[in-house]
Amino acid sequence: MKKYLTLTRAGIIEALQFRLSFVVIVVGNLLYLTVIYFLWKAIYASAGADRVNGMTFTDTLIYLVLATALFNFMEMYTVWEIGRSIQSGKIVLDIIKPMPYRRYLFWSFTGSFVTQFFLTFLPTFIVVCILTHGTIRFGVNIPLFILSVTMGIIINYSIDFIVGTICLYTESIWGINIMKQVIVLLFSGAVIPVAFFPETFKKVTFCLPFRAIYDAPLSILLSQGTSYPDLLHMFFVQLIWCVVMTAVSVLFWNVSLRQITVNGG
Amino acid sequence: MDNNEKPVIELKNISKEFKVLNRHEGLKGSIRDLFSRDYRTVKAVDDVSMTVNQGEIVGYLGPNGAGKSTTIKMMTGVLEPTSGQILVRGNVPYLHRSENAQNIGVVFGQRSQLWWALPLIESFRILKDIYGISDQAYKDIQDLYRSLVDIEDLLHKPVRQMSLGQRTLSDILAAFLHDPAIVFLDEPTIGLDVSMKAKIRELICELNNKRNTTVILTTHDMGDVDALCRRIVIIDRGKKLYDNDIEHLKGFFGSYRTLKVRMDGDLKKKALKVQNEFPSLSVTGDDEWISVLVDESRDRVVDVLEKLQQSHNIKDMQLEEISTEEVIKKIYEGAASPSSDSEGA
Amino acid sequence: MDNKRGLFFYLKLYGKIVVQDIKSKMSYRADFIISTIGMVATNISGFIGFYILFRNFPSINGWTYDEMLFLYGFSLVSITPVQCLFDNNWSLRINVYTGDFIKYCFRPVNLFFYYQSEIFDIKGLGQLAFGIGTIIYAWSRIGLPVTFLAILKLIIFLSTASLVMIALQNAAAATCFWIQNSFYVLDLVNRFRDYAKYPITIFSPVFRFIFTFLFPIAFIAYYPSLVILRPNEIPLLTWLSPFIGAAFFYVSYRIWMYGAMRYNGTGS
Repeated sequence: MKKYLTLTRAGIIEALQFRLSFVVIVVGNLLYLTVIYFLWKAIYASAGADRVNGMTFTDTLIYLVLATALFNFMEMYTVWEIGRSIQSGKIVLDIIKPMPYRRYLFWSFTGSFVTQFFLTFLPTFIVVCILTHGTIRFGVNIPLFILSVTMGIIINYSIDFIVGTICLYTESIWGINIMKQVIVLLFSGAVIPVAFFPETFKKVTFCLPFRAIYDAPLSILLSQGTSYPDLLHMFFVQLIWCVVMTAVSVLFWNVSLRQITVNGG
Repeated sequence: MDNNEKPVIELKNISKEFKVLNRHEGLKGSIRDLFSRDYRTVKAVDDVSMTVNQGEIVGYLGPNGAGKSTTIKMMTGVLEPTSGQILVRGNVPYLHRSENAQNIGVVFGQRSQLWWALPLIESFRILKDIYGISDQAYKDIQDLYRSLVDIEDLLHKPVRQMSLGQRTLSDILAAFLHDPAIVFLDEPTIGLDVSMKAKIRELICELNNKRNTTVILTTHDMGDVDALCRRIVIIDRGKKLYDNDIEHLKGFFGSYRTLKVRMDGDLKKKALKVQNEFPSLSVTGDDEWISVLVDESRDRVVDVLEKLQQSHNIKDMQLEEISTEEVIKKIYEGAASPSSDSEGA
Repeated sequence: MDNKRGLFFYLKLYGKIVVQDIKSKMSYRADFIISTIGMVATNISGFIGFYILFRNFPSINGWTYDEMLFLYGFSLVSITPVQCLFDNNWSLRINVYTGDFIKYCFRPVNLFFYYQSEIFDIKGLGQLAFGIGTIIYAWSRIGLPVTFLAILKLIIFLSTASLVMIALQNAAAATCFWIQNSFYVLDLVNRFRDYAKYPITIFSPVFRFIFTFLFPIAFIAYYPSLVILRPNEIPLLTWLSPFIGAAFFYVSYRIWMYGAMRYNGTGS
C-alpha cells in the first residue's frame, strides 16, 4: 500500500508545481457554474412550470452543478496519457515497473484526484449546500454517496483504460478519445439529467455502464422520497458494473499486451 | 576566399540574468511554494566577449548548464541580453530576428525542425519559399548535397520514418540549404553510432569548406571537437574560461606526454623502482603498463626511454598525447590553470 | 534582403504547407477515418442534447426552437476556422513544456504564422458541413427570405464571429507561456464555446458585461446572428462586432507573440 500512496503524494506535489493553474481552475469553475445557473434559470422561467419531469429548478441545478464538479475531478484524461505513452514509446518503461500498469497509472492519478477534490468539488459542494438551504439532506445518503462516487471513479477509470488500450491498435488518439468523451458525457447524464431523456433513450441508458458514473451517485445524494430498496437496487447495479468493467479492462489489457509483446509492436 | 578575417559574430561583455523561483522540497514545501515570492537571480552568462570570423569552426564547450545554449539563443536573436552588445553580421539579432534568421541556420540535436510528416524533399521546397532561395541557388545546393552524401534515399522518406542518424543528417542539410553565413549546431552527433558520427563530421567539414560557412558547434563529444574545430571556447557557470586554438589547449599543462612501458615482473613494484630512478617525473603502474609522465620542456622522451632500457628489459612501449578530453575535463573540474603542476594522465 | 513579406507571400506559403499536410494525413487512413467518425459523433451528440432539452422546454427566453437551432448552426460554422487553422494551439503547451517551442523561433517568417501553419485540421470541415446544414434547415423553417444581401450579411458576420473564437483560443493557448499547464484554460474556453449558442439575454447584467467584453463568447453566435434573426432590433454592438472581432484577434495575437518572446527569455 505504501508504494501506492507514494505515487499519490508525488502526484500532489506535481500538481502543486503549476501555481497559476489553480487560480484558473477555481475561477473557471465558478464562471462555468454561473453559466449553468443562468441558462437553467432561463429555461425554467420559459417553461412556466415549477416541476419538469419531476425535477424542480433547484433539483436540476444541484444535479448539473455537482455533475460538473464530479466530472472535473474524475476526468483525468487517462486516454491521452496512455496514448501519448504508446506513441512516444514510454509505455515500455511503464510496463516494466514493479506493479501492474493499470494500477500504476491509477495511483499516479490519485494525486490529481485529491487536489481536484479540494479545488473544485468541495468548494462547489459547500456553495451549493449554503445556497439551496438544506435541499441536500445529511443522513445515510452521504456515506452512500461517497461509496458510490468511489465506484463511479473506478468505473470511469476502467472505461478510460479500455479506450486507452484501443490506442495500442490504432494511432488515432484524438478520434478515440473524443468519441469516448461524447458518449460518456451524454449517456452518463452529466450534461442533461437522465430524468429528461425520452423513454426509449432512457431505457438504452439504463443498459449502459455510463449512468453509474455520474447519475447514480447524484441520485443517491439527492434522494428524497426514494425508498431504500430503490437506493439499494441502484447501488447494487453500480457494484455489478464496477466489477464487470474492472474485469473487462484488466482482461483486455492483458490480452492486448500479450499480442503486442509477441508481435513486437 | 579572402574574407576570412572579417568578423561575423561579435560579443562584447554579454551578460544574461534570469529570475528563478526558489523551490522547496517535499509536500509541505510544494504547498509553501504556491504562495512564495522568493526569487533569486541567476547569471546564466556573465560578461562574455568573443569575436568569430567568417569561415571558422568554433567549438563552444562547457558542462551542462554552463550557459552555452543561452549564449546561442542570444546570437540567434531569440533572447535579449541583460547587458552588453551583440552583433551578428553587423545586425543586433534580437532587434531584427527575421533578418538575422535569414543569415543563420540552426540544428538542435534532438529537435528536428523539419515537417514531421512530410518527405524531406517537400520540407526543402517549403524552406525554399520561406528563405526565398532562388531556383539557381536551390539547384546548386542540391547538386552539392548529391556530391557529398547519398541523398536520394532520404529525399522521399517522411522525417518521422527516419532513423535518428538520417534525421540529423537531414536537419543539417536543411540548415545549410539557404546558404547561411553562420550555422549553429547543438550536439549534432548525440546518440549516433560511430560510423554515422564520422559521416556527419565529414559533411559538416565539407560544407564549411565549400561554402565558407561559419560553424558554431556545441557538443560534449570531444571526437567532434578533434575532428572539426581549430578553435575552442570554453565557458563554465556563465564565465569564459578559455578561448584559443586547440593546439594551445594541449599545451595548457606544459607539453606533457605519457610514456608507457611494459616489462617482466610485478609492474606495481617495478613502478616504485622506476620512480626512484626518476625522482623528478611522476610514475604510476597498473596491471598492464608503467606510465611515466614526461614534461617535454624539461626532458626528452627519447632520453628517458634510453635510460630505462639500460636497467630494465622493456618488452613493449607506447607514447600517448594528453587527450583533449582529459584537458577539458580538468578545466571543467577547475583543477587547471596554466601554471599548476598537474598530475597529468 | 527583403524581409517585409506581404500577405501574398504568406498565403502562397500556407497553401503549399497545407497541401503537403493533407497529402500526408491521407496516408494515415485509419486515423483519418476514426477522427472523422469522432467528429461526427460529437456533432450528433450535440444535436441529441439539444433535442432532449427542447423536448422538455419548447422555448428559452423568447427564443423558439428554430431560432435556437439557427444560433446553434451559426456557432458551429463560426468555430470551424479555429478548428481547422489554429489547432496547433492545443500542442503549444506540450511544445513549451518540453522546450521544443524554441525550434519555431529560427525562421525568417512570422513566428505566429509559422507555428500555426504546421497543422491543418481537416476534421473541422465536417463540422462546417453540419453547421451549414443546420443554418439552412433553420433558415427555411423560420421562413426567412433568401436574398443576396442576407447571405452577404451572414457571411460577413460569420467571419467576424470566428475571429472572436480564434482570439479566445489564441489567448487561452498563450497562457502556457506564463502558467505552463494551460490545458485547463484551453479546456475551459472549449467548454464555454458550447454555451455560446445561447442568447446572452439569459444572463444578469454583470455577466452580460463579462461575456460581452471580457470573455466575449456573446460574439461567437448571439450578437452577429441578430442581423438575421431580429432585423428590426439590432443593437449597436452587432454592427460593431466586425471591428470588435478584428480588435480581439489583434489583441490575442499580440498576447501570443509577447508570451512567446517572454517565454524564450525564461526558458532553459
